[in-house]
Amino acid sequence: MAENREPRGAVETELDPVEYTLRKRLPHRLPRRPNDIYVNMKTDFKAQLTRCQKLLDGGARGQNACTEIYIHGLGLAINRAINIALQLQAGSFGSLQVAANTSTVELVDELEPETDTREPLTRIRNNSAIHIRVFRVTPK
Amino acid sequence: MRHAARSPRTSRLDGLSQNLVILTWGTLASSHRVSAEMSNAKERKHAKKMRNQPTNVTLSSGFVADRGVKHRNGGGKPFQAQKEPHSGTSRQRQTRTAHHALAESDANEQSSSRVTFKKKGGWKAGPEGTSQEIPKYITASTFAQARAAEISAMLKAVTQKSSNSLVFQTLPRHMRRRAMSHNVKRLPRRLREIAQKEAEKAVHQKKEHSKNKCHKARRCHINRMLEFNRRQRKNIWLETHIWHAKRFHMVKMWGYCLGERPTVKSHRACYRAMTSRCLLQDLSYYCCLELKGKEEEILRALSPMCSGDTGLTFAAVHYLSGKCQGSLLLYRANKYPRETLGPVTFIWKSERTPGDTSESRQLWIWLHPTLKQDILEEIKAVCQCVEPTGSAVCIPDPLLTPSQEKSQTELPEEKIGRKRKRKDDRENAKPVKKIVGDGTRDPLQPYSWISPATGIIISDLTMEMNRFRLIGPLSHSILTEALKAASVHTEGEDAEKTPHRWWAEACKNPDSVSLHHRQEAVFELLGGVTSPAEVAAGTVLGLTVGDPRINLPQKRSKTLPNPEKCQDNEKVTQLLLEGVPVECSHSFLWNQDICKSVTENKISDQIYRGARVGGLKEAVMHSQYKRSPNVPGDFPDCPAGILFAEEQAKNLLEKYKRRPPAKRPNYVKLGTLAPFCCPWEQLTRDWESRVQAREESSAASSPGGGEMGPTGDVVPGALMPGRTRQLSGEAGTSLNDAEVMDTDCPARAGPEWATSRGATSSLFCVLRSRKLLRQLSAWCGDRRVARLGPGRGQQELSREVCLSVLDCFPRALVWVRLSLLRKGSPEPHTMICIPAKEDLLQLSCDRLYRGPQESKHCDPFKSKIRKQKEKEKTEKRQNRGSATSESLADGDPAAGPHALTLGLWSGPLPAVTSHCSRVLLGFVTRGDFSMAVGCGEALGFVSLTGLLDMLSSQPGGQRGLVLLRPPASLQYRFARVTVEV
Repeated sequence: MAENREPRGAVETELDPVEYTLRKRLPHRLPRRPNDIYVNMKTDFKAQLTRCQKLLDGGARGQNACTEIYIHGLGLAINRAINIALQLQAGSFGSLQVAANTSTVELVDELEPETDTREPLTRIRNNSAIHIRVFRVTPK
Repeated sequence: MRHAARSPRTSRLDGLSQNLVILTWGTLASSHRVSAEMSNAKERKHAKKMRNQPTNVTLSSGFVADRGVKHRNGGGKPFQAQKEPHSGTSRQRQTRTAHHALAESDANEQSSSRVTFKKKGGWKAGPEGTSQEIPKYITASTFAQARAAEISAMLKAVTQKSSNSLVFQTLPRHMRRRAMSHNVKRLPRRLREIAQKEAEKAVHQKKEHSKNKCHKARRCHINRMLEFNRRQRKNIWLETHIWHAKRFHMVKMWGYCLGERPTVKSHRACYRAMTSRCLLQDLSYYCCLELKGKEEEILRALSPMCSGDTGLTFAAVHYLSGKCQGSLLLYRANKYPRETLGPVTFIWKSERTPGDTSESRQLWIWLHPTLKQDILEEIKAVCQCVEPTGSAVCIPDPLLTPSQEKSQTELPEEKIGRKRKRKDDRENAKPVKKIVGDGTRDPLQPYSWISPATGIIISDLTMEMNRFRLIGPLSHSILTEALKAASVHTEGEDAEKTPHRWWAEACKNPDSVSLHHRQEAVFELLGGVTSPAEVAAGTVLGLTVGDPRINLPQKRSKTLPNPEKCQDNEKVTQLLLEGVPVECSHSFLWNQDICKSVTENKISDQIYRGARVGGLKEAVMHSQYKRSPNVPGDFPDCPAGILFAEEQAKNLLEKYKRRPPAKRPNYVKLGTLAPFCCPWEQLTRDWESRVQAREESSAASSPGGGEMGPTGDVVPGALMPGRTRQLSGEAGTSLNDAEVMDTDCPARAGPEWATSRGATSSLFCVLRSRKLLRQLSAWCGDRRVARLGPGRGQQELSREVCLSVLDCFPRALVWVRLSLLRKGSPEPHTMICIPAKEDLLQLSCDRLYRGPQESKHCDPFKSKIRKQKEKEKTEKRQNRGSATSESLADGDPAAGPHALTLGLWSGPLPAVTSHCSRVLLGFVTRGDFSMAVGCGEALGFVSLTGLLDMLSSQPGGQRGLVLLRPPASLQYRFARVTVEV
């Protein structure tokens, strides 16, 4: 990847805002399991929290309850992901544990030309992500 | 007097007297009484009721003849008084006449009859009815004769049934039996004869075709095809028509039969499919135009039709290579920014094709059927293509090089062959489903044109190719599941006869085989990309696929992305970064994955994989969520858009008129001038004159504006006094934007301006220059763009910038998105208004403030309508007199040409902007509750002049706030404007 990025960095210097518009593509995403939750900044915090809570609690009589859920947060949403996980843990009276992993996600930025003579360009940008595993432990 | 007036009719009456109608007293009298106050509708109803009364009672001739003329009835007047308001059908009038005659004949003969007559019928003899003379004597024989005739008529009426129901339907419920309509013997014997007759009649009335062809014959393939061909003579069917017709509400639009929306309740399901699974749409009704010729020639010809201002054109590098699909707006040649023709998408055929070295290129332009006629004409004009080339595609064009020619002639044939492969096999191509041309053109017209000067060939490939659109994150995995790349043919198979010959031939070439393998590899990779948004937009991938019917799954299932496929990361990232390699976009058939030819089975194939199919309504919804204008409704400046708006207005008006006045909103009272259409023309004109009037008035108030104006008074936007001074003359007049705006007085002085300008200046246009739109969007307070603003050479919103913009676009509309702050879901034709100062003040005090209310307007038309109605009534009354004197009145003369509708503004609209308490800025063209955002959202156009005016007067924090008011409501609601680039 490193050698891939080098020439693109060179492009960046000659980039003219008049000639290109930046368009960010969606992050590459693995297929979602039912217990994956991707946290974003658009949805209300409380709604996301209850969604996680519901997944852990299951239905009316506790059926379909997940023993563990994964909360993913990217970039700005990392904070929120951590917040959700901690809130879940605090509200569980010790029955939930968290384990966090961090990673780096490669994002693709597209540069759309504004003039006919330019080629469209893509750039790779790195962003940090967090994956928090929230799981049930049997209280001793 | 009345009888004098009738005298010309007497001769006719004499003739009729042979079969005049006599009714029983009761009926007749009641008919008179009723008809005295009968309205038109009632009369009709009554006439219908009287239709089945016996008509063939004969009186002895001469019985009436002489009496009809003479006016023996001493009173005379009462008759006349009653008959004045009548205007029945001819039959009714006849009966009346008959009665009249009869009554007269009786009148002088027997007083007792007169008395009974009065009693029974309740005949109102008018005010002086009591003063009637009583006849002194009667002749027994004539009287008895008359009664006998009546009695026989009565008897006849009793025996004949008068209703149009069948016999067994008239039976009381307890006497009915099952299957009575089929089996006569189930009826009581006395009714059998009549029932028999009825049954015979019903048999005759049955349709023809059912008789000469049995069910099996009708279902036979050939006959079915014939029938289908007959049924789609007027509106062409898509190939998936039968599949759609079973599941969709079909509408006839643009010369096609299209599925509008699914019959199942699925609005939300379609939305979910769009966002989380896959929604499939058949876009085969889109028209395709093909341009063939030298690249430079085509580009040179087309360049005046598009502008670099609005985005990329045909000449953009990556479009030219054939890697990407482009989209742009076409204008009439050299007419930018006016006279829009409409949006198109296009694909260039990729440059490098194996074994092809010719310079000739191909360009496919896809466009909406409503736009086709205009755009085709214009393209023909700019390419100077005038000569139709015979039967078009079949004749090889001399300009092409041999290799190209081969591929060309092969192309359409094969496509058709592929499409109808199965049918041809089965029935030896007898009455093949034949669609020459399409709904948008006459089959006999030529569909290919060549230009002698430039060598460009234009051909119309409508209905030659199919086009499907898959929306949603799972569309890739569904595609990869449903389509498998064709297996490479090995030598030795005799593929000569089958339609696969072209493929076998292609497989002989090692180059193309390797290319096919590369394409296949890329296609497989796509299955690992979980969302289409990860691939560059508009990517083209050519692929030859095997018949998907072969690997149709047994059961309907949901496709889920395969996690294993997502593993080979490096290749995927490369794909994402670089896009599909150029050579992969070539196809052997030019049968891309987006415009592949598919039979019904293919669609069901994808359904089996868990896609949901949407109709036109879903397409509209999709474009609303994309916030892109929808064709043709959201292009008010192109001919198709204008036509669409007119039709829509007509339909809405009809719908409105169908409701009773009390049950529909009175738009005049609601202050809605144009509830069914958007008067863009007038809106832009009003705004122009408004601004000009204001400038004039302020110039008049400060004649020495040059030296006193600029620095002293605060123009909200003008932050650079130094620059303002340079423009002293003009800028000096610009004081007190906001105040002037609030007081509204110049607008009142405006109308004469408007009219004078209206004659001279040109039409309105829609602002589509990307640079300006971006600037506007920054001014509107879009924080994302605003943050980038200073670094990107954005200018501050100031007076002179506005003026320079307005100079270029004096009458422009801007496409905006409006998201409501709180409650409310807007609907089409909602008005976008500028909030007054106190509204914004109140909003800043109270965050839950709903918005102001419009006060009720008065309806000046109501009294007019009432007057008109009264006038009509009196006219009718007068008309009746004359109408009855003429033999048969052909209905009342229609109401005046300027028929007023209660609740609608009639006549030319007054100044639209200042009609209500808040100044009008624009109209919403599409609005609904948006499930993507979770609140009401609308798309529409606002006047550029008005928008700039509003923005410059609003303080920073509240910039971009507007009020929305639906046509049928008085409540304004706050919304934020965003300019979509």
